[in-house]
Amino acid sequence: MARRQRDVVSVEWVKLELIRAAYATRGGLFSRMDPRMVLLWYVIMAAAPWLTHNITVLAGLFALGAVSVALARVGPLLLLLFIVGLGLETIYILAVALLFGGNAETAVALLELTLKLGAVSTASMAAFVSLDPEKLSDALLSLRAPALLAFAVSYGYRMLPILVEEFNTVFDNYRIRSAPPARHGFLGIRTLVHWVKMAVLSFYPIFLNTAQSVRTTVESLETRGFTYATVDQRGRDIRLGYLKVTALDICVVATTAVLVLLAYLAGDQWPLMRRDFMSG
Amino acid sequence: MTEIAYRRAGALRGTDDQGRRPLDLTPPQKLMIFVLSMSMFGLSNILLEIIPDLTIGPFDLSVSYFVFVPLTLAALLSPFWVALGAPLGEIIFTDLLMGDFSGLAEVEGFLQMFLAIFIAGSVIRNPRNRAQIAVGAVLVVFIDKLLSAAVDLTKVWVGVEDAEYVEGLPESMLVLEGVGFGIDIIISGVLFGVLPALWLVPALHGRIEPLLGMRPRVPGEPIPGQAAASGWFVGAALMLSLASFFFAFLEAWDVSIGAFEPEYLEQYGTWFLWISVAAIVVLLGASILLFRRAQARPVAPAEPDRAAAEEEHVG
Repeated sequence: MARRQRDVVSVEWVKLELIRAAYATRGGLFSRMDPRMVLLWYVIMAAAPWLTHNITVLAGLFALGAVSVALARVGPLLLLLFIVGLGLETIYILAVALLFGGNAETAVALLELTLKLGAVSTASMAAFVSLDPEKLSDALLSLRAPALLAFAVSYGYRMLPILVEEFNTVFDNYRIRSAPPARHGFLGIRTLVHWVKMAVLSFYPIFLNTAQSVRTTVESLETRGFTYATVDQRGRDIRLGYLKVTALDICVVATTAVLVLLAYLAGDQWPLMRRDFMSG
Repeated sequence: MTEIAYRRAGALRGTDDQGRRPLDLTPPQKLMIFVLSMSMFGLSNILLEIIPDLTIGPFDLSVSYFVFVPLTLAALLSPFWVALGAPLGEIIFTDLLMGDFSGLAEVEGFLQMFLAIFIAGSVIRNPRNRAQIAVGAVLVVFIDKLLSAAVDLTKVWVGVEDAEYVEGLPESMLVLEGVGFGIDIIISGVLFGVLPALWLVPALHGRIEPLLGMRPRVPGEPIPGQAAASGWFVGAALMLSLASFFFAFLEAWDVSIGAFEPEYLEQYGTWFLWISVAAIVVLLGASILLFRRAQARPVAPAEPDRAAAEEEHVG
C-alpha cells in the first residue's frame, strides 16, 4: 500500500508518478509478459479501432481498453491527464458545434471519434506503462528495429524522470535568485513573462548537463561494444536470451484476439452506425 | 556581449590533425546528437503538456512547441540528426508515455517536423549570425505549419473532409487558416523561437560542442552530417512532404467514411485507399534512397582523411 501524503498534487508527486510510469513499478498483468508479446498485443488493440465505424464495436473495444488499463495498474496521474484531455476536448468541440448550429449528428460523429481515440489511447497507456525501458528496447532489438531507435527509447524512458527533476531544480534556482515582478500587470502578464523567461533561461544549464550525461552514457556504452553487440549475432543472443514466450503471453494475446472478434461480431449483430443518426 | 573568437589548444577527438572537423560525424557522435535532441525536445514538450491551452473561438493561442530547442541543436551540431531525433522525442516522451498516441497523424507530424528542422537548420551557416538564427526559427514554424495548413486545405478541396466554416464562403476558411498560421508564427515562431534562440545559440556556441567531443562550427564550413543542397535532397524532401499528405488523407478518409459512406464510396471507391497506401510506401522508399544518395557524396572524401589521421595518432 502506498504511503499516504497530505498534499496529493505536488510537483514531487508528479515526478514520482512519472518515474513509476516509466519503470513499471506498479506491476500488473502486462509487466509479467514477454515484451514482444506486449507489443503484439498493443498492435492488435491499436489497429482494431481504425478498421471500423460501427459504434457498437468501438464501445466494446473501448471497454476492453478500460479493462486493460485496470489490469496494467496505470497510475492516477496518467489516468487523470487522459480523462481531462479527452473530456475537455469533447466538451470544447461539442460547445463549438452547438454554437455554430450543430445537431445530434455532430454529437454522434464526435462520440465515434472519441471512442476510437480513447480505445487506442487506453491500449497504449496499458502497454507502455507496463514496459520498463530495458524490456522495451530489447523487444525492439529482437524485432530487428534499428539499434539507434532501441537505444533511444530505452534512454528516453530512463532519463525522462531525471530530466524533469533536473529542470525542476534549475527552475527553482532561478525562482529563488530572482525577484518577482513588483506588479502583476494586466491579466498577470508581467508574472507570466517572468515565468516564461525563467523557463527559457533554465534550458541553458539543462542543455549543458544533458550533453555531458549523454556523452558519458554513449561512451561507456561504446567501451562495452554497444555498436557491435547489437550487430553481431552472438552478442544479440546473449542480450536477448532471456526473452521467452510463456503460456501467460499466449493466453493474454489469444483472449484479446477473441474479445476483439467478439466485439466485431456484436457489432455485426447490433450495428449502430453514424448514418443511423443522420437526419433526412 | 563581445564576440570572442574560438580558440582551443590541442586536438579534440572527432577532429583531424589540423583541428578540422570531418564532414562526416563518427557513429557515437551521431548517437549523442540524436539522443540529446530527443531528450531536450521531449522535455520541452512535457513542460508544454502541463501548461493549459488557450483557445478563443476557432483560434488556438497556445504554444505549439519550443522551437528554440531543436533549432539551437540543429544550428550548433547537425541538422540531419537533430531533425531525426527531435520529433521522435516528442512521440516517445509525450505521446507514447502519456497515452496520447494518435496513429497516422503522428507519422504526418514526424515527417513535417523532420523537414522543418532539417531545412531551417541547414539555413544557418554561421551560428553567430543573428539574422540567420531569426530566419531559421521562423522557418521551422513556417514550414511545419504551412505543410499542415496545406494538408487541411487540400482535404477540404478534395472533399475528404467537410469545411466547418461559413457556408458558401470558401474564402472564410482560407482566412481562418491564414490567421491561425499567423498566430502560430508569432507565438511559436517569434516569442518562443526567435527571441530565445537569439540568446541561446550564441551562448551555447563553443560550449556545448566540446562536451560532445566536437569542435564548434566555424562560419563557411560545410554542415556536418549533411547533404549538400543538391537535386537529390530537394527530391527527397518533396517526396517526404507528399507522403505526409497521403498519411493525412488516409486519416481524413477514415474519419469521413462513416458519414458519407454511400455516395463517397461510389465517387472514389476503395482503390483510393490502396493507392494512398501504395503511394506512401513508394514515396518513403524513394526518399530514403534519395537521402542515401545525397549523403553519400560529401562523405566520401572525408573517409580517407580520418583514417589517415587515426593512423598517425596511433603511430
